[in-house]
Amino acid sequence: MATVTIDGLSKRYAGGGEPAVKAVSLAVADGEFMVLLGPSGCGKSSVLRMIAGLEPITAGTVAIDGRPVNHVPAKDRDIAMVFQSYALYPHMTVHANLAFGLRRRSVPGDEIDRRVRGVAEKLGLTPFLARKPHALSGGQRQRVALGRAIVRDPKVFLFDEPLSNLDAALRVSTRNELIKQQHELGTTTIYVTHDQVEAMTMGDRICIMNKGEVVQIGKPLEVYRSPADAFVARFLGNPPMNLLPARLEQIGDRAVARFADVAVELPGYPMPALTPYLGGAVTLGIRPEDLYETPPPAVAPRTQQIATRVLAVEPLGAETLLMLATGSSDQEIIARVGRDTGLRMGDAASIALDPNALHLFDPTTTKAIARTT
Amino acid sequence: MRLWLNHLRRTPLLLFLVVYTIVSGGPFLWVMSMSLRTTPEIFDDPYALPVRLHWEKFANAWTNSNYGTYFWNSLIVVVTAVALVTLIGAMAAHCLARYRFRGSRMVRFVILSGMILPPQLLILSLFQILLDYGLYNSLAGLIIVYVATQLAMTVYILEGFFAQLPQDLFDAARMDGYADFEIFWRITLPIGLPAIFTTVTLNFILLWNEYLYAVVLLTDDEKRTLPLGIMHFMGGHQLDVGMIATGLMIAIAPVILLYALFSETMIKGMTAGAVR
Repeated sequence: MATVTIDGLSKRYAGGGEPAVKAVSLAVADGEFMVLLGPSGCGKSSVLRMIAGLEPITAGTVAIDGRPVNHVPAKDRDIAMVFQSYALYPHMTVHANLAFGLRRRSVPGDEIDRRVRGVAEKLGLTPFLARKPHALSGGQRQRVALGRAIVRDPKVFLFDEPLSNLDAALRVSTRNELIKQQHELGTTTIYVTHDQVEAMTMGDRICIMNKGEVVQIGKPLEVYRSPADAFVARFLGNPPMNLLPARLEQIGDRAVARFADVAVELPGYPMPALTPYLGGAVTLGIRPEDLYETPPPAVAPRTQQIATRVLAVEPLGAETLLMLATGSSDQEIIARVGRDTGLRMGDAASIALDPNALHLFDPTTTKAIARTT
Repeated sequence: MRLWLNHLRRTPLLLFLVVYTIVSGGPFLWVMSMSLRTTPEIFDDPYALPVRLHWEKFANAWTNSNYGTYFWNSLIVVVTAVALVTLIGAMAAHCLARYRFRGSRMVRFVILSGMILPPQLLILSLFQILLDYGLYNSLAGLIIVYVATQLAMTVYILEGFFAQLPQDLFDAARMDGYADFEIFWRITLPIGLPAIFTTVTLNFILLWNEYLYAVVLLTDDEKRTLPLGIMHFMGGHQLDVGMIATGLMIAIAPVILLYALFSETMIKGMTAGAVR
C-alpha cells in the first residue's frame, strides 16, 4: 500500500516535436483506484511507463510514499504491471510465469509454491498451472497476467489497458473480477484505459488526459456531471454530449441562451459568470438523456419544448436514439428516448429540454463556464 | 473434368520438380554408388550400379587414409566455431534488436558488412594476421576465422527474429527484477530457439564443407579437416576416384544427419514471426 505522487511530469521523445507528456501532476492516495483516461496518443501510457520506470523522465518527479524514484530502477520500485498484451513468457508454464518474479527476489522455493498456488486458487487458475500460455484462452491469459502481479504483493499495481484484447462479454466479467481483487487487496492502483465505461465503473477517481496534459481529475460522476471543458463533455458519455453554438442574451435581469429558434433559461448560472458573454456566442451542451420525448413527472414542470425534425431513428433494444434537426439552421442533436417511441424518420417532433441540465462552454477556450452547484 | 484440369495445371510444376530432383539428387546417388565400387570397376563402367558392395573401403579410408583424424578435426573445429558464433551472434543480435545506443547503426553496418566481402578478398589478410599472432596452421586459428566469417550471417538472421519479439516481454522481465544479461539468457534465448536452430544448422553445413580457408590456413596433414582429406586421394598424375567418392560420403554423413534431425525446426525458424 502506498501513495503515488507525480509532480510536473514531462516526456519528450527523441526526434523533436511536441512533448508527449506536459507537466502532469497527480496524487494517488493509499489504496485508491485511479484511472487515467483519454484518447489514443494522449500520453497516458507514457505517464504509466514513467511511473513504472520503463521510460526515462524528461522533467518532473515521481514519488512513491513520498520518496522520489526518478533514478530508482524499475525492479526496485516495488511496482507490478499488467500489460495490454499480457506479456506472458511463452516458453514457461503458468506456474513458472507466476513464480518468475519471486525467483529473482530469492524467495524460498516452498514459499514461492505456496504463494503461486494461493493466487492460482484465488483466480481459478489451479487447473491450468502446467499449461503454457498458447494453450490458454484470452480470459485465462488475462488472469495469469493479473496473478503474476498479485503474487508479488507490490505497493502499487499498474494496468496498461489490460482488457482491450478481450471480447465485450469477457471484458465485463474480467472488469468485475479486477474491481473485486483490488478491493480485497486494497493495493494502490493506477489503471490506463481509453474506454470510458471502464473508467466510470472501476475508478475511485478519473484523471482525463488530452494531448499530453491533464484536463480534469475527479470522481466519475462528478466529472460526468460537471465536465471541465468541451473535450471532457464529449469524451464521456455515449452518445456524446450535444454541443451547439448559441447566443447569450439578456432579458430583464436574467440571461437566456438562444439556439434553434428557442430561448432557454439558464438556472444555476450566476449573472456575474455570464456577464462577459452577454450579447455574444457561447457553446451550449446538453446530454442526449436530458432530451425527452415525454419528460418524467419530476422534470416535466421545468422543461422547455424545442421543435425538431427526425433525421434518423436507431432502436437499440433497451432504448432508442433519435437524430434530430433543430430550428431553421438544421443543427443536429441526438436524443436518447424510450424503446417504445412511435417517432419515425421525417416526423416533426417536439422534444422537451431540461434547462437544469444545460452546460455552457467558452467558445474560444472551450472551458466550462462556472455554475453554482 | 475439373479434376483432370487441375492435374493438367500442376503438370509443369511437377515436371520441373522431377527434373530438379534428378539434377540435384542424381550426382549424389552416383557418388554414393561409386563409394561402394573400386576404382578399376568405376573406370570400366562409370555409371554402373555396384555388383559387390565394398564396405571395407570406408574402414580403409577411416584408418589407412587418416580420415578418422580429419573427421575429428572437423568435428572439433566446426562444433566449437558454431557454438561460439551462436553465442556471440545471439548476444550481438539481442543488443542490436533491443537497445538503442550511440553508434548502434555503425556497429550494425560493420558487422553486417562482413557478408559483403568475398573470402578470396579476405584470405590474404587473414593469413598474415594469423601468422603474426602465431595462430597459422592451428585449429584454434581456423576456429577464430570461422567465427569471424559466419558472424554476419548469424547476426542478420537472429536480429530479424529477435526484433519481432514483443517489447512487453522484456519490460515485464525488467519489472520482475531481471538484469539485461539475465533477460537475454532466460527470455531471448529460449524463445529464439527456432531461429537459433536455423543458424546452427546453416553454420554447421557451411563450415563442415568449408574448403578455402582450411586449405590456406592449415598445412600439417594431422590438422587437416575433412574437405581437405579428399586431397589425400589426388596424386600428381592420377585420381583415386573410388576413394574420393568414399571420402565424400564420410564427409557428407553428419550433414545429412543434422539436416534430417533439424530441417523441420529450421524451416519453422525461418518462417517464425512471418505471420502474427
